[in-house]
Amino acid sequence: MSDAPADGADADADIAAGNDESGSFFDRYTTRALVAGATVAAVVALLLAGLLFPDSLAGTLADALTSENTLAAALRLSVPIAFAALGGIFAEKSGVINIGLEGLLIISAFSAIYVADLTGGVWVGFAGGVVASTLLAALFAVVTIGFRADQIIAGLAVWLIALGLAPFASQVIYGSPNTPTVATSPSITVPVLADLPFFGALFSASPSVYLLFAAVAGSWYVFERTAFGRWIRASGENPKALDTAGVSVTRVRYAAVLISGVLAGMGGAALSLDLGQFTGNGPTMVNGKGFIAIVAYLFGNYNPVGAFLSTMLFAGLDAVQTVLQLQGIGIPRQLIRITPFVIVIVVLALVGRTRLPEAAGEHYETEE
Amino acid sequence: MASAVHLDGITKRFPGVVANDDVDLTVERGTVHALLGENGAGKTTLMNVLYGLYEPTSGTVRLDGEPHAFDSPRDAIDAGIGMIHQHFMLVDPMTVTENITLGSEPRKWGGLAVDRAGAREAVVELADRYGFDVDPDARIEDVSVGEQQRVEILKALYRGADTLILDEPTAVLTPQEVDELFEVLDELTAQGKTIIFITHKLGEAMRAADEISVLRDGRKVGTVEAATTTQEELAELMVGREVLLDIDHGTAETGEVVASASEVVVEDDRGVRAVDGVSFDVRGGEVFGIAGVDGNGQSELVEAVTGLRTPDAGEIRFRGEDVTTASRRDRIEAGMAYVPEDRQERGLVMEFDLVENGLLGSQHGRELAANGRIDWAKTRGHAEAIIDEYDVRPPDADAGAESLSGGNQQKFIVGREFERDPELVVASHPTRGVDVGSIEFIHERLLELREQGVAVLLVSSKLEEVRGLSDRLAVAYEGEFVDVVDPDETTEEELGLLMAGERPGGDDGGDEGGGPATTGDGDADEAERNAAADLADAADGERA
Repeated sequence: MSDAPADGADADADIAAGNDESGSFFDRYTTRALVAGATVAAVVALLLAGLLFPDSLAGTLADALTSENTLAAALRLSVPIAFAALGGIFAEKSGVINIGLEGLLIISAFSAIYVADLTGGVWVGFAGGVVASTLLAALFAVVTIGFRADQIIAGLAVWLIALGLAPFASQVIYGSPNTPTVATSPSITVPVLADLPFFGALFSASPSVYLLFAAVAGSWYVFERTAFGRWIRASGENPKALDTAGVSVTRVRYAAVLISGVLAGMGGAALSLDLGQFTGNGPTMVNGKGFIAIVAYLFGNYNPVGAFLSTMLFAGLDAVQTVLQLQGIGIPRQLIRITPFVIVIVVLALVGRTRLPEAAGEHYETEE
Repeated sequence: MASAVHLDGITKRFPGVVANDDVDLTVERGTVHALLGENGAGKTTLMNVLYGLYEPTSGTVRLDGEPHAFDSPRDAIDAGIGMIHQHFMLVDPMTVTENITLGSEPRKWGGLAVDRAGAREAVVELADRYGFDVDPDARIEDVSVGEQQRVEILKALYRGADTLILDEPTAVLTPQEVDELFEVLDELTAQGKTIIFITHKLGEAMRAADEISVLRDGRKVGTVEAATTTQEELAELMVGREVLLDIDHGTAETGEVVASASEVVVEDDRGVRAVDGVSFDVRGGEVFGIAGVDGNGQSELVEAVTGLRTPDAGEIRFRGEDVTTASRRDRIEAGMAYVPEDRQERGLVMEFDLVENGLLGSQHGRELAANGRIDWAKTRGHAEAIIDEYDVRPPDADAGAESLSGGNQQKFIVGREFERDPELVVASHPTRGVDVGSIEFIHERLLELREQGVAVLLVSSKLEEVRGLSDRLAVAYEGEFVDVVDPDETTEEELGLLMAGERPGGDDGGDEGGGPATTGDGDADEAERNAAADLADAADGERA
């Protein structure tokens, strides 16, 4: 991408590069618009077909889609993924690829239950999960920024550490990889609005859903409106430019990675506290949500709102599948679960050209 | 009135190198001062000292008479110095305004938000004050290189710079953008800003500067008034009279044409015509030299001949065949050897030992790698033969290339290339950064090859070297050959004139040129038309 201006001295090359540039620019947005448009069109067609032939497969599907339960389930499934995706955006925009989001979710999911169990307070547990995740993110930051370790390898280490540590701690403390259940916090219901058809689910949800809405809006605000958000972007695109402008790249990156720890921590804590239990068998209850989060923010092109909507799309598919299963139409869960990954491969490799920050994954050292 | 910048006895040593040696420099307020010198003369190092990137080994920096010691660019910026690097420090996907204000954003709501309207206004105001043409809302990746440079300058001005250092500012610009830049510089000095501008181009230094200081080998060799100096004087100061290496090249039997180029046009990475219609031929048993100040298209021409860059027009023939688009491998196999100008970048794999490095270029050959299998015993023998024959020290084939000194690295490359049994040797700055002993050795070997009937294409910016070794000497200037002369019958002064782009003929009566000049008047006219076309293209680009 950045080649174009450098090439641009000769007029012909400039024009050619310019066209090419605007071409990919268009591609980038039309592809997303196409995906969105196709989704909407398919849904509308399905709903129409469902209205006309209520007894057909289309009718069942339309029912599943319009069911308030579907939206509620999608929102619930979205919470941990979207929080982790927001965290991933902060880290990666600053130039640190954090593929350890899965690990941050796991460690906070367990810690939240443990602290809640110790203290009896749901919100204290929530804070405990956030603290645990932030500490692990801090370790990751020190290793990658301070000691310039490879970000991918360090990120995998974060995942593996958490994957081993959380069930082990549970085993030691509770004698089983699954913790006992703790009390959950009740849903917050907005009177009147909660009775709306379909959208009512938005107004009768667990507190973590509202927290997520706030986090999405807040993240958007930070990137679009604050100086700190610009520094994060500059740090990931051209750290040298930021450095010569007198802002410490190291500090910006530490801050961004810690924020990603806080956000992922909120996601993990919300996940386990929503169920009141941490289950640590196999891939644990997090079960790949941290990786789907990466897919979601890539699909959302590093935009907090885009990442949230992608999460909703993935979670919505999962929710529809669950509803269908209840109605006796089984689409194998495994197939639904791989859709995000298939979509991201298609989007990244073939059409979308999500633009990674120029300096993502690169270490930066002030030259003095 | 105290001068804006005063450097006093600046010496900067790096391990094993003296980059600046007791340099004094005085720059008056409101003037443009050009810092002129060849690559590696220490210009950029000197400015990095002024900008706080390097701490000088000795010497003092004074601004407006006050001594300063900068620990970092931050200090220099605070003292009113701005540097526009050759590689812009801009964030491509961000807008012009965002880039200019980066790190010093105006805030509102107690710092909770960037005052975007205020930032934009400040940028517009600043651009208006200096008559800059920039679009505050455009993204950097969508604007021209010239505009990016103006953004860099505005960035420095936004931070309150009084003295601007521009490192090779014209290197990335089209001719039209260069004109615009010089207008900008005039406007800046008219408003009391001081400008130091690093360049190796004589013409630009004379056009843009009030005073010119010339650096050579880390020392300042003179400061002259731009108004009273001549290009010849500058060329002489820059290239200097080095210790005369006594080269007796004698005369050799010239044979058939081995390689030739006709009307070759090569664009550089930025799409600028670096080589603009060059023709020549090299015969067996002759050294055809190309002299000129660095950056006049020599590198691109060599890359086109050796197959590292595809010419945009014209034809290159080698041993009777058209090789304009032939691969490196084909050219190597046909007998073309190449001593590249950057030995660490292109000549050697620094992490490899000499056995492996000796194989480079022969990895497809039947000699060392028959049937796709490398014969390591033979390869080792080959490397040891080179080490022995070319006196590479230490004589250890297992030594990593990076452990050798520059001179020994170069001798090894020269040995590897000369041992290919070539028909043509393309030697680009074969003795750059090499000690005197190795220089003589390499010169002798080159002449030996010539004796054996090999054609040699030699590019060097060292006047003594090309003069001493070449049988015919072309002088490159702005992508063209100004003239092709007989080096024995051309004085250094005349060469200096040619290197400054002054064409022979006219009232001088052009009788000194012994060699066949390929650039006649017709070519010159065509070159002018090309230049005009380039400008028109650039203008189109600007509109688009």
